[in-house]
Amino acid sequence: MKLNIEGLLVYFPYDYIYPEQYSYMLELKRTLDAKGHGVLEMPSGTGKTISLLSLIVAYQRAFPLEASKLIYCSRTVPEIEKVVEELRKLMEFYSKETGENNNFLALALSSRKNLCIHPEVSSLRFGKEVDGKCHSLTASYIRAQRHSNPNLAVCRFYEEFDAVGRQVPLPAGIYNLDDLKDFGRRKGWCPYYLARYSILHANIVVYSYHYLLDPKIADLVSKELAKKSVVVFDEAHNIDNVCIDSMSVNITRRMLDRCHNNVDTLQNTIHKIKETDAAKLKEEYRRLVEGLKEANVARETDIYLANPVLPDEILQEAVPGTIRTAEHFVGFLRRFLEYLKSRLRVQHVVQESAAQFLKDIFEKVCIDRKPLRFCSERLQSLLRTLEIADIADFSAVTLISNFATLVSTYSQGFTIIIEPFEDRTPTIANPVLHFSCMDPSIAIKPVFQRFQSVIITSGTLSPLDIYPRILDFRPVTIASFTMTLARTCLCPLIVGRGNDQVALSSKFETREDFAVIRNYGNLLLEMSAIVPDGIVAFFTSYVYMENIVASWYEQGILENIQRNKLIFIETQDAAETSMALEKYQEACENGRGAILLSVARGKVSEGIDFVHHFGRAVIMFGMPYVYTQSRILKARLEYLRDQFQIRENDFLTFDAMRHAAQCVGRVIRGKTDYGLMIFADKRYARADKRGKLPRWIQEHISDSSLNLTVDEAIQLSKHFLRQMAQPFRREDQLGLSLLTLKQLESEEMLQKITQIAHQT
Amino acid sequence: MRHLFVVIDCSRSMEDQDLKPNRLTSTLKLMEAFIDEYFDQNPISQVGIITTKNKRAEKLTDLTGNPKKHIAALKKAVDTVCLGEPSLYNSLSLAIQTLKHMPGHTSREILIILSSLTTCDPSNIYEIIKTLKSLKIRVSVIGLSAEVRVCTVLTRETGGLYHVILDESHFKELLMLHIKPPPASSSSECSLIRMGFPQHTVASLTDQDAKPSFSMSHLDSSSGPGLSLGGYFCPQCHAKYTELPVECKVCGLTLVSAPHLARSFHHLFPLQPFVESSVEELQGNRFCQACQGELKDKNIFTCPSCHSVFCVECDLFVHDSLHCCPCCIHSQNTPFGVS
Repeated sequence: MKLNIEGLLVYFPYDYIYPEQYSYMLELKRTLDAKGHGVLEMPSGTGKTISLLSLIVAYQRAFPLEASKLIYCSRTVPEIEKVVEELRKLMEFYSKETGENNNFLALALSSRKNLCIHPEVSSLRFGKEVDGKCHSLTASYIRAQRHSNPNLAVCRFYEEFDAVGRQVPLPAGIYNLDDLKDFGRRKGWCPYYLARYSILHANIVVYSYHYLLDPKIADLVSKELAKKSVVVFDEAHNIDNVCIDSMSVNITRRMLDRCHNNVDTLQNTIHKIKETDAAKLKEEYRRLVEGLKEANVARETDIYLANPVLPDEILQEAVPGTIRTAEHFVGFLRRFLEYLKSRLRVQHVVQESAAQFLKDIFEKVCIDRKPLRFCSERLQSLLRTLEIADIADFSAVTLISNFATLVSTYSQGFTIIIEPFEDRTPTIANPVLHFSCMDPSIAIKPVFQRFQSVIITSGTLSPLDIYPRILDFRPVTIASFTMTLARTCLCPLIVGRGNDQVALSSKFETREDFAVIRNYGNLLLEMSAIVPDGIVAFFTSYVYMENIVASWYEQGILENIQRNKLIFIETQDAAETSMALEKYQEACENGRGAILLSVARGKVSEGIDFVHHFGRAVIMFGMPYVYTQSRILKARLEYLRDQFQIRENDFLTFDAMRHAAQCVGRVIRGKTDYGLMIFADKRYARADKRGKLPRWIQEHISDSSLNLTVDEAIQLSKHFLRQMAQPFRREDQLGLSLLTLKQLESEEMLQKITQIAHQT
Repeated sequence: MRHLFVVIDCSRSMEDQDLKPNRLTSTLKLMEAFIDEYFDQNPISQVGIITTKNKRAEKLTDLTGNPKKHIAALKKAVDTVCLGEPSLYNSLSLAIQTLKHMPGHTSREILIILSSLTTCDPSNIYEIIKTLKSLKIRVSVIGLSAEVRVCTVLTRETGGLYHVILDESHFKELLMLHIKPPPASSSSECSLIRMGFPQHTVASLTDQDAKPSFSMSHLDSSSGPGLSLGGYFCPQCHAKYTELPVECKVCGLTLVSAPHLARSFHHLFPLQPFVESSVEELQGNRFCQACQGELKDKNIFTCPSCHSVFCVECDLFVHDSLHCCPCCIHSQNTPFGVS
């Protein structure tokens, strides 16, 4: 259907539209008009992706100069594929309606591992291996060497692409990863490099967060993307953690050992080169004296996306003399490594700021701040000069040099924690140096500065106002949308008491309490008898889950549950978990019924959807607070309090509630889906916790379902499940939660739609 | 003609007391009513009952057309102990064993009353769904607790209905839905069946030659009336039966009476719904054609073919019980009575 959104003609590829989709597009349009950033929350399963795509594509067509490119960032490869499929549908609709073949180029980009078509390289199993192997075939100096030595291995796909691929742009169309591979095979071009090259002139790019947020990758891939782009972060509820992870470095002793090897190799290579080709090193030296002027010019003219690892100041300076020659630099690295090793030889936990660390390093091994800052750049230059083929081997030393640059550049927002052993195994020495980023805004800042509109969206972003604060940006729109429903297909219940009136809670004091564990078991047992097919139960941590399950086993609760359903458990082992998941789905499909015991913040809670019968109920046992004794977390909380005036408790609750919302949100994946959401902890009933749930869940918590006993919850669930099992047809939704164009344009409906968006 | 197997879940979950006094008792009581009504509406059809518990399936009664047998069995079943899990696979395969030998022109149906949310199957249930589909057996499910995925698939694939009850009255309503035969698909085979229409003859007591004799249907059961004078005599072999419809034990002829056939006929040619209109629009006499009472309600109902006027009560009676419009029959004198 064709929609008119405040004067913009939007093609929407379906005959029906949800009211909230219309409202979402309205807000999105206003954000784009204002050329600002937006935070939008809309429940999953209400067609967020297609609303986003249809509006932005329409906007691009209407104002090709205002929004030249859409950069759509998603989290996983399956999600990326889903976005591309929606886009394909939209484009087919466009060409059907307008009758013309539009010149739209949209493509997905992923790692080499997913795109490589070289028969040997693509058969490797790990991403790092593929990258390394690819590099050893395609690096520029390798190819240069081949002129003198034609026996060297070659990737014919890359050669072909390099020879002709750049002149002929990728024909317009929609390309997912497989399409790119097919195209690459047909033409004999490398799909990965083709995609990387093509994103520069594509209208829509779909890729993973890391291509924009991780400074190492962003520098390679996304540097040259146009300023007038619209950036969308989908499923962005964890964006702050992604930012922090991309800037943090953990150094273990094993890594230092590998680093040592790296440095040795470097030295040997330098010696060899010196004998054969001294001119090369001299040339490099000259270049370094010139400094990083080029990068500086580029940044000033605003061609490139800024790299947070490459701070502004160092661009204006030349590389300091102490590390300019290759030997000196290697010596410098050695000293630095020795210093780190000595620091790891601690018996107790050390926490210090970056400034303290710099002072200490100056006193102990006389390393100044300035050369440290250039460390990362200098290493890159050296690796280029030495023509080292397999970059993957040098990941350790690259990491260390990145650490050196970061620690000397940012005096704030980072902390250094050295732990001699893990908390769980205090007897085994395993020293780790955490260089931990506490300020997510550092990594994302260049994105906000460079691109005119950045949209952060997800099913669970509540409370909305906290994201702009921790990411340090100023949005023009903040809105939360509810789900209009023809029938209440979600049933959130807060179970606060057992049948014997024992308060249920996972808080520390009652964690070991026998009565609480028994009541939790009772709850699961009763639920297993009344909920059909699949139940997903989330615990707060692996340790807690193990304790509880062991205790249930002793009490014979597990045995009783197994009469009703099979039990599967998520473990830290990824292969084991995916096996469990597969079997779980099989059991749901066959009518045997199954329970999946998993952990909030685990793999299951984030990436896996439990559509329809795969998840008829979710039970949250306790509140998923993050492990508060962790020193990294403590440091981060302190930083948040000092810098952003966010109280520790507020942040912890926010973090716990967003994970809880993520977990329970796994069951509702659309309006025809239905599911129970059981919060088994009395703390959820408190207004400050409940108020942090997304609005679309909060709405359905009535005052009477705040502090239920297990029995009461069972009665309510039974009733709910019977209601939901009644036939539900599309006609029932029409006019209420599903609209035709005509219904949408009625005055009354437009009135209603304005109430859907909830501004904060 | 219908061949229906009713599968009754007798697993542990049937002891649940959300239906009073418990699910099993309530179900069996409703089943008795169902059986009665079923034979009333589908006189020449057959029913069999299967129970499933403890991962097994057992035949409670075989496929027969005799309601008394079923009701007796149901009455007895009240005392069964509910235990273990039900097995969809076993009950379906048990039903298939019998149903697959039924002639192609009749309907083959299974109705499952499932209380449990889990099923314990010896092998993949999707295999048996395929078999059911190829045998054109229609499976319907009434769930007593919630929607189970495998039942949704089972009913969708075989073209049956899937309902979940809300409470006891809804349960009854859903059960009665299955009394009406399913729409026959055009692909089903057509064939002619031989039927006998025996007259009920009673020898008068004055007749000296009259001798009391046994009914064939009572030969195997020890209870019931023994000798009687009158009865229905099979036109082919003169075996005597006291009740119709029945299949002759001697020559295998289906014995029915004409009203039976007529009643199963009305499913094929249902009476058209009467047109509802307000009483003000009616000119002339304000009398119901059926009960001859005055039309007091606001709405009246008009038969679309003979334009006779009826009141609400008579409209319901005509549609639910008579299945033919009395005025139409009255006006046409042709023997083709039932339309």
